[in-house]
Amino acid sequence: MPLIIHQREKCIGCNYCVEIAPEQWRMSKKDGKSVLLGSVNKKGFWSLKISDIQAEANEKAALSCPVKVIQVR
Amino acid sequence: MSRRAELLAPAGGFDSLMAAIQGGADAVYFGVEQLNMRARATMNFTTEDLPKIAAIANEHKIKTYLTLNTTVYDHDLALVKRILQSAKDAGITAVIASDQAVIASARSIDFTVHISTQVNITNIETIKFYALFADVMVLSRELSLRQMKAICDAIEQEQIKGPSGALIRIEVFAHGALCMAISGKCYLSLHTHNASANRGACVQNCRRRYSVTDLEEGHELEIDNEYIMSAKDLCTLPFLDQLLQTGVLVMKIEGRGKGADYVKTVTQCYREAIDAYYSGCFDQEQVASWMERLESVFNRGFWSGYYLGQHLGEWTDAPGSKATQKKIYIGKGNHYYPKIGIAEFDIEAYPLQVGDKVMITGPTTGVVETVIESLHVNDGGAADIAQKGDRCAFPLPVPVRNSDKLYKIVNV
Repeated sequence: MPLIIHQREKCIGCNYCVEIAPEQWRMSKKDGKSVLLGSVNKKGFWSLKISDIQAEANEKAALSCPVKVIQVR
Repeated sequence: MSRRAELLAPAGGFDSLMAAIQGGADAVYFGVEQLNMRARATMNFTTEDLPKIAAIANEHKIKTYLTLNTTVYDHDLALVKRILQSAKDAGITAVIASDQAVIASARSIDFTVHISTQVNITNIETIKFYALFADVMVLSRELSLRQMKAICDAIEQEQIKGPSGALIRIEVFAHGALCMAISGKCYLSLHTHNASANRGACVQNCRRRYSVTDLEEGHELEIDNEYIMSAKDLCTLPFLDQLLQTGVLVMKIEGRGKGADYVKTVTQCYREAIDAYYSGCFDQEQVASWMERLESVFNRGFWSGYYLGQHLGEWTDAPGSKATQKKIYIGKGNHYYPKIGIAEFDIEAYPLQVGDKVMITGPTTGVVETVIESLHVNDGGAADIAQKGDRCAFPLPVPVRNSDKLYKIVNV
């Protein structure tokens, strides 16, 4: 199963991941950074297992992230 | 002249903040969190740093301006309010804003507003409009000295005042990187890398070399200077007297992404030049010596920007800095013996020799430069050279800390 990893602290809140993969991402109105829905935080790295079908959109989100804090593997 | 111009220096981190103070700045500007034009910089402060920044500034009697000048989306609004409230509570002097949401939020809590260059102010009517909200306004970088003077004169004549009741003060960029787009409003980085300059994420691809290809026949055209979009750096020092005569009252140095050594050197040169102007001894002989110092730190070559009016854009012919000196990392601070004035360092990268010119930087130390006159290595007593892995000590009049870094300064 593909895994998304989000290094949230470095997010600059550009909103592209939400536009590209809205099923997994939301903008936090609290701190203006994106949130990987349902993910687990381990030392600042937020991770979430997704299905193969969901991988494509998230790979695009990772590619479009200007500060490269999203990884899909 | 009743009012003296203020020198405003960049603080990308605590080391640059100390360097700006050591250089003689009257005020510093800095960003917190992600809503500023250097969001990509790793050394941005956080909201928790605000009280410490204000405390250091108060101790040294300088003003503090918070940059909060990116494009702002709905999801940023709560963060904007939180940052502004924290800054006001901490005693930060003012916020540099461009988005109307930020301006309105700041005014609603009676926090002083400065209008960012991102707003692109180019005429007196715009000044009057923003005078409802702001006390200081940064002019567009594309205006000429003549245009600046007309605006400053009109403020005086028409007595245009901000919310504080004082006359509007005009701020301009005095030194540092210029971008090819009008006052930073550029789409290039967003277009190629999805990284918006207007969210502080510019990848600076204008600084690269480009060629032009004929898509029909595939011919690649030769261009004299391949760095066709990379402007040289602005340097107003040679005509600083003319710039001050326009009536501008805040001189800003660009460079929150640059090192503490850069901040200290540039701030010092402009401090001396401004003081020389007010004491009536600003002359070309001193300009030559200041220029030599400015050329020793990061630069893409200098030009006068659009201020003198007659030039078209000048483009750099190098990918990065043309600095005449560079710094090489040597090692980190270990201990300081205050009674005998000896600093101890661990050598981690390159050897250090007697006669080397060195620089020490750190969040409390700022920037200190010295020449190694004697050296003790490990427990072996006096030596001429310390190698990687060695612990060495040399006399230094100011304390060093564990967080300090030691660099060797060499000519390029």
